[in-house]
Amino acid sequence: MMPANDRRWEILEKVGAYAAGELEGEEAREVERLMFERPDYRRLAESYTRMLVMLDTLGNEPVEAPEDAVGYAVRRAYVSAFMRNAETFVGALGRSYLDAFVYYLGLRRESYGGGT
Amino acid sequence: MAVRASRGDAGAFGQLVREHSGLVYRVALRILGPQDAQDASQEAWIRAWRNIESFRGDSAFSTWLYRITVNTCLSARRKESRRKEREYSGEELPFLPEPTGGDADPEAAALSAQQREELLAALEHVRAEHRAALVLRHMEGLSYAEIASILDVPDGTAKGWVSRGRAAMLVALTEQRNDREAGGTAR
Repeated sequence: MMPANDRRWEILEKVGAYAAGELEGEEAREVERLMFERPDYRRLAESYTRMLVMLDTLGNEPVEAPEDAVGYAVRRAYVSAFMRNAETFVGALGRSYLDAFVYYLGLRRESYGGGT
Repeated sequence: MAVRASRGDAGAFGQLVREHSGLVYRVALRILGPQDAQDASQEAWIRAWRNIESFRGDSAFSTWLYRITVNTCLSARRKESRRKEREYSGEELPFLPEPTGGDADPEAAALSAQQREELLAALEHVRAEHRAALVLRHMEGLSYAEIASILDVPDGTAKGWVSRGRAAMLVALTEQRNDREAGGTAR
């Protein structure tokens, strides 16, 4: 048998689901029956409804991100993209110099366009 | 725009930041509270830029961004010592009294500063995962399928977390009001 506290918590959640409009059919009817029999369950459902209205109202309040946070994120992205491009550029430049140096020292046998 | 950003276009990414900064900050604010929201939202954008190449467009950009933001917030929470969730003794059912003014009360239209404070304080007493699920469901208005995808859990788990979060939130809110009425001493 379920301990009394677990049973009460189950009721608490079930009434919450009912107040949120998430129960259908037999489950909804069961909660309605409980609410009809027990005024404290009815009050519980009303309390949930009040809380959900407040949460919804809070959820609909406009919230603007602080300009600092937005600016920081944009700057970070630009700096990171710049560093990424710079790394690619420097890498390519380094490889070109190395190729030229190897060619200058005559360490590479093949010549450009002329085959071996 | 997201596709251009995923190819490393910082300008396109900047545009995305401007368009979606409200979403990231709002979610961070509700999961972490005002003190940590700014740091978390900056961290979420850094992670987004770092991982933007993995964005394939399989889901909406906002869903992908929600996932990064929620994960950033949850890992920020994990770094802190675990906050104690309000415990439900089970002896008495939680109850929020009807606001003064009855049905015409403006609670439905606007929250007072005190109500906002109470809600945010009560949210702090809900376990982080449950809180994230609750915020996504009842404040962001997402479906369970979307929540499950964002939290990377099965639909049933997402539903369970929202349900637990809802109950824990009501318990916290009720106890907070009871504490206040009794002199606001012990919490």
